[in-house]
Amino acid sequence: MASVTFSGVSKSFGSTTVVSDLDLELADGAMTVLVGPSGCGKTTSLRMLAGLEQVSEGTIRIGDRDVTDLEPKERDIAMVFQNYALYPHLSVRENIAFPLRASKVARSEALKRADAIAESLGLGSMLSRKPKDLSGGQQQRVAIGRAIIREPAVFLFDEPLSNLDTKLRVETRTELLRMQRRLGVTTLYVTHDQEEAMTLSDRIVVMRDGRVAQVGPPEEVYRRPADTFVATFMGSPKMNLIDGAVSGGELRTPSGLRITVGGPDAALVTVGIRPDDLSIRPAADGTAKVELVELLGPRAIVTVQAGEHRLTSVVGSAELADIRPGVSVELQSRPREVHRFDPKSGVRLSE
Amino acid sequence: MKRPGWLDIIRIAVLTAAFVFVLFPIAWVALASFKTPTQMSEPFLLMFSPTGENWRAVLESGIFAAAGRSALVGVLTVSISLVVGSMGAYAIAKYRAGGSLTRFGMLAAQVVPPAVMVFPFLTMAHALRMTDTLVPVIFAHLSFVLPLVTWFLIGFFEAVPSSLEEQARVDGFSRWQAFRLVVLPQVYPGIGAAAIFGFTLSWNDLFYGLILAPGNAAILPVAISNFNTFRGVQIGAMSAAIMIAIVPVVVASFFIQRRLVQGISGGAVKY
Repeated sequence: MASVTFSGVSKSFGSTTVVSDLDLELADGAMTVLVGPSGCGKTTSLRMLAGLEQVSEGTIRIGDRDVTDLEPKERDIAMVFQNYALYPHLSVRENIAFPLRASKVARSEALKRADAIAESLGLGSMLSRKPKDLSGGQQQRVAIGRAIIREPAVFLFDEPLSNLDTKLRVETRTELLRMQRRLGVTTLYVTHDQEEAMTLSDRIVVMRDGRVAQVGPPEEVYRRPADTFVATFMGSPKMNLIDGAVSGGELRTPSGLRITVGGPDAALVTVGIRPDDLSIRPAADGTAKVELVELLGPRAIVTVQAGEHRLTSVVGSAELADIRPGVSVELQSRPREVHRFDPKSGVRLSE
Repeated sequence: MKRPGWLDIIRIAVLTAAFVFVLFPIAWVALASFKTPTQMSEPFLLMFSPTGENWRAVLESGIFAAAGRSALVGVLTVSISLVVGSMGAYAIAKYRAGGSLTRFGMLAAQVVPPAVMVFPFLTMAHALRMTDTLVPVIFAHLSFVLPLVTWFLIGFFEAVPSSLEEQARVDGFSRWQAFRLVVLPQVYPGIGAAAIFGFTLSWNDLFYGLILAPGNAAILPVAISNFNTFRGVQIGAMSAAIMIAIVPVVVASFFIQRRLVQGISGGAVKY
């Protein structure tokens, strides 16, 4: 068990900086999720912690050990790759037991432990199969088994669920979380999927262009996004952003769109409203028109066109009866859930 | 089943012609090895009472000792080539060692005629008092087997995902252990094919053996050429010796032909 600290870590390939000045602490036993669009430096950060990429600047510590220049094998970590990287020439049992060959554990003892882990992961009946004879979900569990057998100080996951189908992804996500809670091992998990990040994490680190955009517990990152990037990246469907002036609790845009948002007056502001907090009501003199209705079962995502803005709203099935493409609607937000950002820098304005 | 079309008939005809074309010299040599010197002047004589005389002469000439030396040269050449070549091919495949010219440059050595290379080998062997031993022959064979084996293996190493090696390193192994325990087993099929390929090259070489070890340490092709004596060519005995030489090659080619194509195209597609 150990915490992990990145201090001032940077990584450049030639003249391109992939990660710059990363300061981050992973709490002991917690699950920290690095999330961001592709190319934001999240995987590079993980690989630097694994020792697979050299650090250009700064230090990384695991517990009180400086591991910046150590080989991966000296770091006491385990990693699950996106493609699982199972050893094709070894059986399930040998794959799981393989990390113990590096330590001085006797072979019979190693295989016994591998069998117990395989059993707990529901792989008991396929111990002697080769990876190519397993389904994606089974391969994924073998990779997890191989990661936990050595009882490492830190777990690293590099988009481990992205090769699974949707149903399996949700199941495995739950299993993974349960396992991490049970073992209480410090975990760094990288994903580009904001939903995965929300459900799994004790703490979310949102990255953008090699820098940390926001760090915090998932509900805080969702409730109080630090800027427009985080605001639109986290949450699905993504947050509506509208530039305009607020007076008397009503937002007006140059194109004539009006939305009740509440709050103090402002000359020019970017207002952010999550689709769940934006309600629409048919009205003959409405400033927006329904463009598209996507049914999700009990709810629907409604896209409305208002001037140059295209906004989305989540509507319950009860109100859906009158909402059809082409209908004029009036927009209204729940004032307490409205976010305000600086229109130039995109930074969140304090309430 | 549908009736064979014109294309099928042409294909079968061409393949049959090719088969006869390839088989003809082998059949000719096989027949010759059972003929007496008089019968030898009638190449198309198919029905005759075979003689064992040629085979007896060959067996008494120490042909198996020469074959043994050839095998030893082949095995040592291939072993050294595989150890050095696998590591070299790995470095070239994963780290682009030597830049993009390495692959091509390595094969450029094949363009140099053996006649140019043999004199330095002979001079060195002489200086080391190793003429007419197998040592210079092995080094000479390495000069063409090692580059080919290395080149052949590059494509196989490129096909191994780098995450496998990274996984092994994270799992607690050193780079060398990761290479030996994880990367190398993935290319075993390529190594097997390269071994047979390299062995065949070494087994068939006459030129270096003839000049570097013509006497007591003669390898099989040299021993075969020795049937061309000052009293004329002993075609019957030579034919029997040739049969002994080609059997291992034919058996080996049968096993590797598919891998050979895979290895060559595996390397070729890249450039």
